[in-house]
Amino acid sequence: MKTKILALAAGLMTATALASVPAHADVKIGLLGGVSGPIAAMAPAMIDAAQLAVQQVNEQGGIGDGEKLVGVVGDSACNPQNGTDAATKAVNIEGVVGVVGPHCSGAVLAAAGSVTIPAGITMITPSGTSPEITNLEDNGTVYRTVPSDDYQGRALARTMKDRGYGKVAVAYLNNDYGTGLANAFKSEYVDELGGEITAFAAHEEGKASYRSNLAELAKGGADTLVIFDYGDGTGLTILRQALENGFFEKYVGGDGMKSDAVIKELGTENLTTFVSSSPVGEKSEALDIFNEAFKGVGGDPDAIFVTTSYDAAFLLALAIEKAGGDKAGVAAAVAEVSNGEGETILPGEWKKAKELIAAGTAIDYKGAAGDLNFDAKGDVPGTYALWEVGADGFEVVTEMK
Amino acid sequence: MELLGLVNYALFMAIFICIYALLALGLNIQWGFAGLFNAGIAGFFAVGAYTSAILTTAMDPDRIGGFDLHFIVGWIGAMLAAALVAWPIGKICLRFRSDYLAIASIGIAEIIRLVIKSEPALTNGARGIASIPRPAGDIGYMESQIAYLAIVLVVLIAAYILVERQFNAPWGRMMRAIRDNEGAAKAMGKDVEFRRLEAFIFGAALMGLGGALFAHFNRSITPEAIDPMVATFLVWIMLILGGSGNNRGAILGAAVVWIIWSVSEIATDRLPHEYAVQAKYIRLFLIGLMLQLVLRFRPEGLLPEPLRGDLRSTKPGADR
Repeated sequence: MKTKILALAAGLMTATALASVPAHADVKIGLLGGVSGPIAAMAPAMIDAAQLAVQQVNEQGGIGDGEKLVGVVGDSACNPQNGTDAATKAVNIEGVVGVVGPHCSGAVLAAAGSVTIPAGITMITPSGTSPEITNLEDNGTVYRTVPSDDYQGRALARTMKDRGYGKVAVAYLNNDYGTGLANAFKSEYVDELGGEITAFAAHEEGKASYRSNLAELAKGGADTLVIFDYGDGTGLTILRQALENGFFEKYVGGDGMKSDAVIKELGTENLTTFVSSSPVGEKSEALDIFNEAFKGVGGDPDAIFVTTSYDAAFLLALAIEKAGGDKAGVAAAVAEVSNGEGETILPGEWKKAKELIAAGTAIDYKGAAGDLNFDAKGDVPGTYALWEVGADGFEVVTEMK
Repeated sequence: MELLGLVNYALFMAIFICIYALLALGLNIQWGFAGLFNAGIAGFFAVGAYTSAILTTAMDPDRIGGFDLHFIVGWIGAMLAAALVAWPIGKICLRFRSDYLAIASIGIAEIIRLVIKSEPALTNGARGIASIPRPAGDIGYMESQIAYLAIVLVVLIAAYILVERQFNAPWGRMMRAIRDNEGAAKAMGKDVEFRRLEAFIFGAALMGLGGALFAHFNRSITPEAIDPMVATFLVWIMLILGGSGNNRGAILGAAVVWIIWSVSEIATDRLPHEYAVQAKYIRLFLIGLMLQLVLRFRPEGLLPEPLRGDLRSTKPGADR
């Protein structure tokens, strides 16, 4: 048995070694995502969006001298063990030029710390929102197309204050996403703006009933509940039970709550007092183009983080083109192709971008998820709007500053 | 380039195997020697990882410490902390029979995970701790991997020698006697409860050390790493497959399971592009299948427990 299993392992290794003889005309990028594990429901759409960018690049001339861009999917399973494993394989076995992902912040921190930063490979995460990523000593190789949770929490606090919300209670999912948002919201709303939070409580995901949590939250006499959770998961349960029992009058959600599942399950008529913040592209033209294209390949453009995933892959491709085959130059090139200066490139405009890069003209990618002008730490400021539920789904109420 | 990549990948796998082998060795002391069904490996792993992270990182005003100590202090601290956490748990729970202990230990690991997630002042909560220094981490990619592998190998070999010595020593025979026939051991005048506690604490300390090595390798530790799937059940599979009661088996099991777990993804990547996402589940299936096959055809594991234990004993099956 032992020899058999060892033989099997050896066989797998050999097969791998034989199969991974590189076809020289390919430029590979890693698409690392939480395919299995807690975000398994979100990951496929995100990877499809990134693959859409890869497909567009190939349809419009490919990288450099017509080389094909290939997205290699790796499973980071939303934990550091598999995240580093997948990143190591992408970097060393597949020989990727850059990595889109991983999806979860813990996997991002570990994969960056032990693989991509030491190896000097560019990493763009579409959904790692932890503020810890900002402070990584990454030699400028780690970027993200999604704003840090800090931005959104603070922007939401300011907008709510402006719109006259008073005492609020906050319920947040106990993970890096929920905690990050809630803490940023709290520090802005209470410490900076002098608002009052009557209850501030984390909850675990996946329970059947949150009525006791809600009853606790409602005790302080707040009329508004702020929910930082996912609208196709626990957040939906909380919102439903809060509405059913009339715990609060008004409801506010973070971007995770802006999910069509909420409208589908609860009905437009019940959601008149529900608003939710979510990132928008400042020029929604870019977003429209992406939505059309993603629908064209059978994707759902409203799925969470698909815009940021697409942007991450497209940006990486632009940077690879700009760097002209120099692996080490890709990281710096990411900031160059999207710094607010130069000819505007919209999603899918690969051919135009390629010609401009060849001519040496500066380009500025305006992504589906926003303008994506990176700061020195590789973060993007968010462009957020407050959304309410109207007859045709979510509609913008106001821009959030 | 291609060859360098393979070497880098092999180095990475070797480091992970060493870390998992430490966890499996710790579990082998508890289950293989003493018959304690600990299903809370992730908890001790986490205590070790976080303790070392807190001891060795730079000052951080948002949470406790950041004491900026040498990594060796961190690792020793990790073992001590895991042992310290194990002591009251063992004191209370080891009175349970094995199946109840399994339930209790799952619960305790979950408590530890939730405390870590919910106490930002202690562990920075769900955000985790980043910027943990890695020994010899500032040199090139491959060099730093080689250096780290050397360090974990030294740690693993030291742990192996110590545990193996204990296995062959009277202490090991006594533990197996307690495991196989508690009443008889008691009649011989052995303090069963105290000895079990010993085994539980030693095993937990090794698990804590494994956690610390893991955190320093990744330069970060987040609650996501304490997922029972990858921190508890994978270790159990390694030990059962390698052969519980055999230290070399524990290490071999770690190697076989991790290599299959990791390498099978490369194999499934050769499937057509449109199956790329679905293919990821094949390796979960593979690990399960492997465990089934081993349990069916070789329940004692790849390297079974040496029946005579101490090679100096003359009669075959002396301690059965």
